[in-house]
Amino acid sequence: MRSTPSFAGRRAVVLHRPDPGIERLTRQLERLGLSVTVAWEPIGAGAPECDIVLVDADQGWSGLLPWDGAAAPVPVVALLASEAPGRIAWAMEQGAVAVIAKPIAASAVYPALVLAAALYAERRDLAERMARLEERVRMRPLVHAGVRAIMAARKVDEEAAYRLLRETAMRRRLTMEHVAAGIVAGAEPLPEVG
Amino acid sequence: MVKIGVLFSTTGPYAAMGRDCWDGAAFAVAELAAEGAAVEPVFVDAHGDPARYLDGARALIRDAGCRQIVGTITSLARKEVIPLVEKHDGLLWYTCPYEGFEANENVVYTGACPNQHLVPLFDYLIPRHGDRPYLVGANYVWGWEMNRLARELIMEAGGEVLGERYLPFEETAVERLVADVAARRPSFILNNLIGPASYAFLRAVRDLGRRDAAFSPERCPVVSCDLTECELEAVGPGVAAGQLAVASYFDSLASPENLDLKRRVAAHFGPGRRVSAFFAGAYTAIRMCAEAVAAAGSDEPEAVRRALAGPPRDSVFGPLRIDPRTSHAALPFHLGRITADGGFDIVASRPAIAADPYLVGRHGGRPRLRLVR
Repeated sequence: MRSTPSFAGRRAVVLHRPDPGIERLTRQLERLGLSVTVAWEPIGAGAPECDIVLVDADQGWSGLLPWDGAAAPVPVVALLASEAPGRIAWAMEQGAVAVIAKPIAASAVYPALVLAAALYAERRDLAERMARLEERVRMRPLVHAGVRAIMAARKVDEEAAYRLLRETAMRRRLTMEHVAAGIVAGAEPLPEVG
Repeated sequence: MVKIGVLFSTTGPYAAMGRDCWDGAAFAVAELAAEGAAVEPVFVDAHGDPARYLDGARALIRDAGCRQIVGTITSLARKEVIPLVEKHDGLLWYTCPYEGFEANENVVYTGACPNQHLVPLFDYLIPRHGDRPYLVGANYVWGWEMNRLARELIMEAGGEVLGERYLPFEETAVERLVADVAARRPSFILNNLIGPASYAFLRAVRDLGRRDAAFSPERCPVVSCDLTECELEAVGPGVAAGQLAVASYFDSLASPENLDLKRRVAAHFGPGRRVSAFFAGAYTAIRMCAEAVAAAGSDEPEAVRRALAGPPRDSVFGPLRIDPRTSHAALPFHLGRITADGGFDIVASRPAIAADPYLVGRHGGRPRLRLVR
């Protein structure tokens, strides 16, 4: 780990009925540099005005959060006393990636936030990478078509054609799929090659 | 009658610190008794055993009825005791320097955390000695976390950590470690070792400095954040002379409060007794605790914490203020150079620094984590 995780200036929404434990949680979050809003009603659809959500998984209901797990736009931490599998599943469906057990111990808060933020970022990065890779797999036939077009136009073998396509893409700072699409469409005579 | 539990270890690898804490607490209790204060101390010795800290705290709270406990030195012991103190709604007074990243409402922290020791220390050291240190530490959370923060500070300064090694408290075979230090030629050495390992390391570096002037204390100091007057005898007379240490208090402070304390300590313990930050910390905590309980009219933690808020009180640490938000004391920074006769010459100081246990202020406004909506 490189730098110390810090939550200074971040905004937390705590979805829980107010009680002394939640007051203690709020004070601990404030010690970590967060500003805190406590609410016990569904938060608005779309992007919530916060950086992290802590939600009562014991009494939370579907619709309390306006997203399902995969699409959670911020890290979610479950506040949980129950061990019931159904409540744990509900928490996961909301996108929870960390749990703070109730009654809340002060020492549980910072670790849960660090874990939730890191796992959330990792999950989001993986989803982005997956989307990029899926796009590239989808475009593979186009690359093959582009390579065949270059082979015919330049009288080169497949390996050389592929290399030409890749170098052109790098020079133009485009993906190979992009350049191949242009060639196949007849719009790209590979001007800067050869 | 205020019952105050005192929970330290007078034997074990960090016994020198424990004995000074114990003596500081006992001295405060003796003074309070002489002043007619209604304080009843209950002393428990945990002998350096984490399990005995837990048993000791349980005995203090359940059997002796102490809601206020002054004690623990290592973070391991503190973390053992805190859940119990929370459960029984007591208050733990923690008086030692530690690695931060904690702020519990059932604890009053009067020992320094990193923004009060390590951060100002590096502000001082890097321009004077360079940004290529070697990090050594005890093989537990104090050593690990202090060195992790040190590495982060060095990275931010554009420097390089030349080595990082860990030893158990009682490991005294330091030859290979010191050979590695000698080979890498760091700008300075950050020492977060504890107990016998630290003493052996300081002796070996002294010998290295005699063979190779590049490792003299003037050119490549060994710098510690918890080495005080109470351990220099165990290190060996004169062995660590010239090396540096950080503390919120040194015996050599010339403040009127300290001169007065030293006069009273000499009268009680005999002349020649040096006061360390550990002694002064436990002493001050007992006095503050007794005062706050008296002012609150109750030993209920919430009431005691309320009594602690408010104007700073005079102490040998200077005006001492407990931040009600973090429950930590604002503390001065002093850098001391060890003298041949086992004291410290103060070479740099900063007035009281508010504690920032989670280093929130260092990163304020600067997004360090990608928390994206």
